Formats: sequence, structure tokens, C-alpha cells
Amino acid sequence: MMKKIGLFYSFNTNKTARAGEKIKNAFGKDANIEVLNAEKVSEEEFMKFDNLIVGVPTWFDGELPNYWDEFVPALEDLDLKGKKIAIYGLGDQKGYPENFNDGVGIFASIVEKCGAKVVGFTSREGYTYEHSAAERGDQFCGLCLDQENQARLTEKRVKDWATQLKKEFN
Amino acid sequence: MSESYPKKYTIKKTEKKVLKKWYELLVVGRKLDERAPNYLKQAIGWSYHAPYAGHDGIQFAVGQHFDRDKDHLFPYYRDMLTTFSAGLTAEEIILNGISKATDKASGGRHMSNHFAKPEWNIHNVSSCTANHDLHAVGVARAMKYYKHKGVAITSHGESSLSEGYVFEAINGASREKLPVIFVIQDNGYGISVPKNMQTANRKPSNNFSGLKNLRIIHCNGKDVFDSMNAMAEAKKHALEVGEPVMVHANCVRIESHSNSDRHELYRDENERNYVSEYDPLAKFRRMLIRYKRFTEKELEGIEEDATKQVKTAHKKALAAPDPDPASIFDYVMPEPYVSEKYPEGIHNQDGEKIKLVEAINKTLKEEFRHNPDTFIWGQDVANKEKGGAFNVTKGMQKEFGEKRVFSAPIAEDFIVGTANGMSRFNDKIRVVIEGAEFADYFWPAMEQYVDSSHDYWRSNGQFVPNMTIRLASGGYIGGGLYHSQNIEGALATLPGVRIVYPAFADDAAGLLRTAIRSKGITMFMEPKALYNSPKAAATVPDDFEVPFGKARVRREGKDITLVTYGNTLIHSLQAAEKLQEEGIDIEVIDLRSLVPLDKEAIFKSIKKTSKVVVVHEDKVFAGFGSEITSTIMEEAFEYLDAPVKRIGSTFTPVGFNRILENAILPNTDKIVEGVRELYKY
Repeated sequence: MMKKIGLFYSFNTNKTARAGEKIKNAFGKDANIEVLNAEKVSEEEFMKFDNLIVGVPTWFDGELPNYWDEFVPALEDLDLKGKKIAIYGLGDQKGYPENFNDGVGIFASIVEKCGAKVVGFTSREGYTYEHSAAERGDQFCGLCLDQENQARLTEKRVKDWATQLKKEFN
Repeated sequence: MSESYPKKYTIKKTEKKVLKKWYELLVVGRKLDERAPNYLKQAIGWSYHAPYAGHDGIQFAVGQHFDRDKDHLFPYYRDMLTTFSAGLTAEEIILNGISKATDKASGGRHMSNHFAKPEWNIHNVSSCTANHDLHAVGVARAMKYYKHKGVAITSHGESSLSEGYVFEAINGASREKLPVIFVIQDNGYGISVPKNMQTANRKPSNNFSGLKNLRIIHCNGKDVFDSMNAMAEAKKHALEVGEPVMVHANCVRIESHSNSDRHELYRDENERNYVSEYDPLAKFRRMLIRYKRFTEKELEGIEEDATKQVKTAHKKALAAPDPDPASIFDYVMPEPYVSEKYPEGIHNQDGEKIKLVEAINKTLKEEFRHNPDTFIWGQDVANKEKGGAFNVTKGMQKEFGEKRVFSAPIAEDFIVGTANGMSRFNDKIRVVIEGAEFADYFWPAMEQYVDSSHDYWRSNGQFVPNMTIRLASGGYIGGGLYHSQNIEGALATLPGVRIVYPAFADDAAGLLRTAIRSKGITMFMEPKALYNSPKAAATVPDDFEVPFGKARVRREGKDITLVTYGNTLIHSLQAAEKLQEEGIDIEVIDLRSLVPLDKEAIFKSIKKTSKVVVVHEDKVFAGFGSEITSTIMEEAFEYLDAPVKRIGSTFTPVGFNRILENAILPNTDKIVEGVRELYKY
């Protein structure tokens, strides 16, 4: 049986929070998911889970939002070996093609350095942008959503991702 | 944030006493920034204030990395925290804001929010956005030449990258491999203009990624630690590798552009809230608490002390003296080199005559031998056997080497701006430049000319660029619109620059020597039609010197005075000979210097002749002769028996076909005709 999942996103956001809810729903009613506010995340909360889903939107020209950025110094000192972390983010391919979903890639690099295994890689097919820190070969190292330009694809992308994570999680 | 540089500073590892000092600076800086608009509301001053809030991380980091003993810093008008972090006191910030006589930047002469301290090499820069990039490149050129271990840091917004001279500067630093750090504070706006109106690239620094030897570092300018780490890496790279770095710092502008701007008119509430949430100071404070480096109480204590510090500074600054209106003529131009042997700029030596071009070439070489801290560059000035379009600099590179004598890129503003910048390294340096291959091409450099002209006044006498700008000027070579221009009239309207326009070889040699030995700027106009003319050849004593503002009577006469300079001096002398045959006795005065103008010599001659013709090659309409004529009318009217007559070009461009050129430019016959008319009056 799949271990409990910690789903972290900022409760102050609109799109990222809504995407988080959609992901939770896609796992189905029986899934054991605890939703936590990324604005107030602590090291203890983060360490509580072996399976994590993390909502990381991209801010400005390719930055982590403050709530994650301020958590990075804590995160960097954590031993995340054995943990599986799936990252979703929101970006704008047309408005900010130079850093589409950079947040996903930046966050992935940090947790990978701490020993975590990043799961939930997705295909880059169907996206048009110039550069993304989330790229890993022909895949993204997470789920890249684009509510500005591809909102209609979100439902399916989320559903497929949840199905994939069920297989990949601990 | 970035993986391209080490995390030297972190919230967990940085010492508490260091963090305390940082927080004090950040809080006092912000209080000054927030308080600045009050001075305007209370009609005390500070009418121009560009708030920095949102740029805190990068500005703090730039200031912390500036070493006043080794580096040069060129801050822009939003760099309040940069300069405060670099060491200016709160009182000094306010003294600049309210334009007091004791303002370190300019004594109240320059605009508010232009913070500087020239004695520490925190330079007083223009308001012409980012034109100080050229000065940073110039001073870095000197650092490299003199093997000085330091960096030049220049800072401005991302919109300034649209300026052509910024490209010239960055390209120059890249080509010459100079230790310059270009700090780009990207807040997404140039006043109300979003950055997508400036360039297609949302990361405009990446437009420069094709330049060689230039490292581009992106950092979060809203984060103190990331900015500190980025600046540490940039400085290390510039010092160790000796090459330029561009630090692109993402910032937010929390407030309006300045107090004359209202961002509510173009930013919606959502955006304004969004940027406020990214307040770098609030973020730093949250980190101090979150990582238990300080307690709430400790931080409140620092904040209370900061309030007290700002209040004390405010009181002191208010009590400081205002500038004295009688001081306005101080520091327009520095005192020139004084010639002891030739106080009037006249010699009586006979002997072999040399041509104008030889005299200039010879004097340049003599001065370069005399002073090892001399440099010359310009377009086309040095390549193997070639020394300029007219051979004026022939043989110089061979004798003095490629580091002192070299050709510049085709970038006139760069040529002038880097000369200004190099002068900032020390005041022994003297730079001679060919401002352009022809005077006609000097116009792109006007931006630096204007800026340099008021450096001395603007800095309250703390800095003056020591440069001689040579320009091959004038027509009579069948050169057309772009090889015939005389631009001295346009240049002379700006205070702060000496303008000389010799014709004879000896005067050119003497004035050039004086120019190179003097502090300040001299425009040295060379009538290129006379370079090889036997008519302008003269005997030139080896040590000849001509002071500024000393005219020379080239021919004595009693009937009519011709006041002239440059090419038309030769025409005037020829006309005088012809008129002598008709019994008209002409006195010909060669002004040699236009600024300063030898009014006494003109008046002395008019007292004798009572009639005067002002002759020059440039257009009569609004030419420099208009100023001479008005001065005579105003100050010597009672000595005149006739109106002042002016002879010069028609109010047209100069045509290429010789028939057109002859119709447009003045010549001997036109002068003869004009004098005859006046003689009859």
C-alpha cells in the first residue's frame, strides 16, 4: 500500500492552490494525502513524509517564490535519502518563454542534492517555449502546467500525472 | 538561487555581528528612502527622488563589495543604498538630497539623489542614464595599464541597456579585457515603460551573451545573500581573470519611478501588491527570525536605533550651510598651465619653416616624451606606418607603443567617454584623442562632450577630465557635407571647455603643448586644408607655448580690423595684401583661442581702426562670429564708426562639387569685397 503523501503548496495562491486540489482529487478519495501550507512549512513537516508533492510556481524571470526560497537554507541541510518528491509548477510559455517553469527545475536540483529522488517526470511534447530549468533531456522533471495558454489541457495532464505517481511513489 | 557561484554568505553561517551590521544598514537606508519625499512635501528640497525599495539586495551587495582604496564606483540616481552601504553616512545622503553646500557629491550643484563622494572614488555621475559605463571602462583601462588591482563598478537599470553608448562600453570592456562590473538592476520598468518595449529579451543582459570575455551572472537582487554571493563572484572574476562581468539582478520597484511619476496610472493594484510582497527588507527580516539568528526584540532594538540615527542626521543636515550664490563661477574651468617663457604666445625666432601637420606631430611626440602618463587614441590614428587620415600621428605608435597610442573602434562617444574615465584614475594622466576622424563625425560624441564639459563644475571642483580633443575641421578640400564642417559655434555654447583654432604651425604647436600640460578639456580644432599648406608653415621654437585666450596680431594696419581664425586667417591675410594695393590698411587679428576669448586684443585694435569685420569659415548665421560681434557691439560700440560686418559661409550645408563649395565658403575675394563695402561706410 502506498505511504502517506504530503502535498505542499501555498494557501495564499490561487492557481497553484487550485492545481493542488485537482491533483489531490485525481488521486481519488481513498488516497492518504495531507495538505500543508508551504508558506509555513517546517523541516519537521517536510521530513514527516516519504512521498511528497510540491507546488512550485515560477516567479518573475525564473525565481522561486519567497516562501520556498526562504525555506531553501533549511532544505539544503536535510537528508532526503529515500524520499520521493514530485514537483508541479505553473508557468506561462508565451509571456515568459525564457524561463518556463524554472521553479520546478530549481526545486528539483536542490532536493536531488539532498538525496531525494525526484519522480513524476513528464514529456515535453506539446509545449512551446525557449528555455526551462525544468528540462531533463526530452522530459520535464515534474508536471508543468500553463493556465495562461493551455488551461484546457490541465485536467488531463493532472489525471495522467496522478496515475503515474501512484506507480512511482513509495 | 544560481548554481554558477559559491554560497559564501548564508543565513545560517554568516556571523551574527555581520548580520547585525547588515540589518542596520538596510533599515537605516530604507528609512532614508521612505523619508526622502517628505523633504519635498515640506518644501525643503529633494525634488528628485527615485526610490530604491525593492533593489535592496543588490544595492547593499554592491556597496559592500566596493573597496574605497582600490575600486571606482559609478552609481546611478537610484543607488541610495549602494552608496550608503559603501560608506556614505546618513547625514551625507541627506546633504545631497537637500542640496547643501557641504554635500559631498557636488556642494548642492548637481541634482538630488545623485549620491557621490569623489574623494573615495564614488563618482559624481550625470543624469544621462548609464553614460557612466564609458567612464568605468576608461578608468579600468588605466587600472590595467598601471597594473592596479581594483575594479570599476558601474550600475544602472535594465532599460539603460537600450542606449547605444552602453553597448559601446560593454563591447570595449570585452575587447580590451578590462576589470569592469556592470551591475544591471532590473525592475522591469524604465519610468512607466515596461521592459518589453526596450528589447525582445526579457533578460536583456543575455543580449550581450555573444560578446567574448564577458561573464554574465544572473542573481536575485531582492535577496541579500544571493546578491552578496553574486557580487563576491563577480569581483573575484574581475580581479583574478581581469575581464568584465555583468551582474543582472532581478529587482522589483515597489514605488513609483520618482516623485514626479505616479505608478497607479499604469500598474494595477494587483501588481503593486505583488511587488510589495517581494520587499527584500521584509524577506531579510523574516529570514533572521526564521533561522533564529535574532529575536523579534533584538530587531526592534536595531530599528529603534535606526530611527534615532536618521533623526540625528536630519537635524545636522538641516543646519548645514546653503551654497553661496557668489560661488557660481567657481570651478567652471581649472587654471591652465602657465607659460613663463612665452606669456603672450609670441616668439621672434627665424629659421626653417615647418608645416602645420609636422608641427602638431612634432609637439605630440615631444609631449609624449616629456610626460610618460600621456595617451592618444582615436579612429584610424595608428596602424603600422599609418598615423591618421592626415598623418598627424605618424610614427607615434612605433615610438610609444600600442598601449599608449592606438586606434579606437568607430564609436565616437566611446572615444571621448573613455578618455574622461581614464582621467579619473589620477590627475597626472593626460589624454589626447581624435574625437572623430573629421569634426563632422563628432556629433555622436556630443553626449559625452556635454557631460564632460560640466564635470568640474558639477563635482564642485573635485574632478575634471584632463583631455585634449583634436578635430580635423573645416572645408576647402572638396569634401562635401561630411568633410567640411566647422562645429566650434555649437561647441562654444557649453561652459567648461576651452576651444582653440590655430592656423599657423607655430601657434598650433604652442597651443597644443599648453593644452596637454593643462588640466581640463581643450577642443583643439585643426584646419585640415592647411595641414600641408606652405601658407600656414612657420618657424617653431622647440619649447614654444601659447597661452589660452591670447590673440595674435598677424598683420598691423590702421583702417579696418579683421578678426578671424582658422582657414580664413590665411584668406584674410591675402585679402589685406590686395587691399593694401588699393590703399586700405588692414589689421588682421588671429584669435587662436575662441574660449577664452581675447576681448582686449579685439577692443585694442578697434580703438585704432574704428571699423571691424568678423571673418570665419563657419556659417554667418549663429556662427561663433555672432558672439564676437555682439560682444563688440555691447562693449566697444563707442569706438565704432560703422556697424560690425560679418563674413562667413552661407546658411547652407557645404556642397561636394567645387563649384558649390566655392559658392558657399568664404574666400579671399569675398573678404576683399566685404571690406571695400565697409570701408565706404
